[in-house]
Amino acid sequence: MTLTAAGLCDIGTKRDSNQDTIAWAVSDDGQRALSVVADGMGGYEGGEIASQLASDTVMEALTPLLASGAQDTATLQDRIQDAITLANKRIHTVRSDHPKLSKMGTTLVLAWVQNNQACIAHLGDSRCYLLSGKTLTQLTRDDTVAQNMVDDGSITLEEVPRVPFRNVLTRALGSSDDARASFGHTNLAPGDRLILCSDGLTGAVTDADWPDIMAPAPSLEDQARRLVDISLDHQAADNVSVVLVQSI
Amino acid sequence: MAALSQLVDDVVVSTFELTGPRIEIGRRAGCDLRIDEISVSGQHATIEVENNAYLDGAVDYFITDNDSTNGTFINDVRMTGRQRLNSHDRVRIGWNLFRFIDEDENSLEKTAYILEE
Repeated sequence: MTLTAAGLCDIGTKRDSNQDTIAWAVSDDGQRALSVVADGMGGYEGGEIASQLASDTVMEALTPLLASGAQDTATLQDRIQDAITLANKRIHTVRSDHPKLSKMGTTLVLAWVQNNQACIAHLGDSRCYLLSGKTLTQLTRDDTVAQNMVDDGSITLEEVPRVPFRNVLTRALGSSDDARASFGHTNLAPGDRLILCSDGLTGAVTDADWPDIMAPAPSLEDQARRLVDISLDHQAADNVSVVLVQSI
Repeated sequence: MAALSQLVDDVVVSTFELTGPRIEIGRRAGCDLRIDEISVSGQHATIEVENNAYLDGAVDYFITDNDSTNGTFINDVRMTGRQRLNSHDRVRIGWNLFRFIDEDENSLEKTAYILEE
């Protein structure tokens, strides 16, 4: 198995700033990969700073681990959580020092792949999907008020785009001292792809359409480009970010 | 505060404020919102007013059709089960058209934000 990754981030059609940040890195031998999408919020400048700070911090903390890999799942989760906790602390420090940034925060979705296994950590409504053949599976659960209401049966999934508080997150970096991530794991077969994305993509293009949108594109870069282009064609109201990781 | 405004030819002819916890809608005397019109069943529908379990200060309005003869329609779709009303929804009780307005919805920010702990 060899891993490859690609990503794309676009401001979208309605916003005047890009508050998403994406990053990825693959080990020199192609056996391990780290990828991140962060979607900032909290004012014109704050969202950009929060997502960049989160992405930079987790990349800085975890990239050295790409060379050796993690010994086991527990160790890996601890390292990822430590990186997220550090990012949260840094965001809090900036919030405290700069009153204009006191409301900033960010979502984060992170995927670590090694030994045909992916470990996914997230806070907020940025998502990770597994695309296996033409079967798309959402691996993360949105940390939102609307998702809580879907889970308790108050509303249906189809109603989510219409509820007034669809953008209210229940967890994110910056909102509390305790930035404990949700973790998930999945196996990757040859050809499988992980799709990390911000809600700019999920809000503009129905996820069920993604396999057909990506299918004609030969490379991961082209697949990411097609997803972003179609979301822009659909007048994506938010910033649009996609990172793809493939096992080949 | 939320209300149902009855529309005739797109003009508001009456407005009924929805004060909870339950509002019974129907043709029968004793209903909170009584519509004395032949397409409306005796106890046609019920609106329940509940505090949102996850968002302080937010109030949810859920409507249930009580197996009425001519149905309850939300935005032209005949409803089944229990459904949350969103501001500006068109609610049709039999042949009678209303618009649901929840002014408090406007105070919720349109951009993403986080519940601070």
